[in-house]
Amino acid sequence: MIAGITLLVAGLLAGVFGSLLGLGGGVLIVPLLTLGFGLPLRESVSVSLVSVIVTSSAGASVYLQKHVANLRLGMVLELFSASGALVGGLIAFLLSEQVLAGLFAALLLWMSATMLHRALARPGAPTAAAVGDDPDPDAAPTFTDTIGGPGYRVRRLPLGMAGSALAGLVSALLGVGGGIVKVPTMNVAMGVPLKVATATSNMMIGITATSSAVIYLLRGQVDPYVAGPTALGVFAGATLGSRIAHRVNTRLLQVLFVVVLLYTAVEMVQKAMGR
Amino acid sequence: MSGGRQARLASMAATAARLETIAGRLLTVGTRLALLLILIGVGGMAARGDNPLGGGAFPPYSLFAIPRQIAALRPEGFIWAGMTLLVALPLGRVMVSGAGFLAARDRRLALVSVLVLLVICASVIAALTLEG
Repeated sequence: MIAGITLLVAGLLAGVFGSLLGLGGGVLIVPLLTLGFGLPLRESVSVSLVSVIVTSSAGASVYLQKHVANLRLGMVLELFSASGALVGGLIAFLLSEQVLAGLFAALLLWMSATMLHRALARPGAPTAAAVGDDPDPDAAPTFTDTIGGPGYRVRRLPLGMAGSALAGLVSALLGVGGGIVKVPTMNVAMGVPLKVATATSNMMIGITATSSAVIYLLRGQVDPYVAGPTALGVFAGATLGSRIAHRVNTRLLQVLFVVVLLYTAVEMVQKAMGR
Repeated sequence: MSGGRQARLASMAATAARLETIAGRLLTVGTRLALLLILIGVGGMAARGDNPLGGGAFPPYSLFAIPRQIAALRPEGFIWAGMTLLVALPLGRVMVSGAGFLAARDRRLALVSVLVLLVICASVIAALTLEG
């Protein structure tokens, strides 16, 4: 009973902080379950993937109905993220726990650097280029034209496809949503506005996580007694986080969180080295 | 023919907007139902006094055993049912969108939907057949 409540609270905290910091819960759940509760890393990844699907479905339902997410673009890119996740889900069973821990530590270091950069960046700085030259109004629309949205056209689609495949691979190996790769790819490389990129990434994460969660589920790697309370906690936490976000100084929170990520990265490195 | 490009793009945007609303509603209802099932299962676990961190073996996933487990009011049956629904939700969203794109004669997006579903099928086949 107490262990169930502990998992619920751990999921709640991961959901709140993930929501406040614009991350999926996965990057917090995996270290919490592995370092905090001593679960095997692969089992933590599988539990995290279930939570990632919960937050993606809950978030995407709102983004789609408000027409913030770009369904056409998301469906094209998720074909590649799902393929990457299929490969990652299979590779994960070939790698040792030490290698997975080392990869997770590298991910945490990358996230620390990204978050620190975001925290120190000037607010309101311009992000992506939007619309280019107007094409011939009588020309038939190209495929790339049809996956754009109001006020922007998609650029460098092949780069977006490659970034999505990489995000899927990372997601399946480490139990994270992969938004840390997808959002910058769409925003910076493809010229999709940040708000649309974030919402579309959130929608795509559901299919990415499903591709690998199916593998973990059918191979008996998901513990329902751990995944159930954790998923409920993450959902409650993400809902709470989205409601209190406007009252919290997220910049200070980001800097503090970088410290936590760096500490967790050191712990993961030690696990990778078998200490 | 002037403005034909804009008309075509506007028509595609209208189709996508309609499908976004339908897919969004599907995810809303499905997520709530899945979480309710998991909540019932977790409540049952608490009532039974299970320790999820006890390190013991957990019941393996079997799609065909879920109805029997639910009929016997076993907590894991409800949790597995909720998780199965959760995993099915993004697939449902792709199926609904694919059917909508096909109805709107947007064959390229309909084909993309089919390919996404094929990748998921490949995941299932890989999970069931590969050793290791």
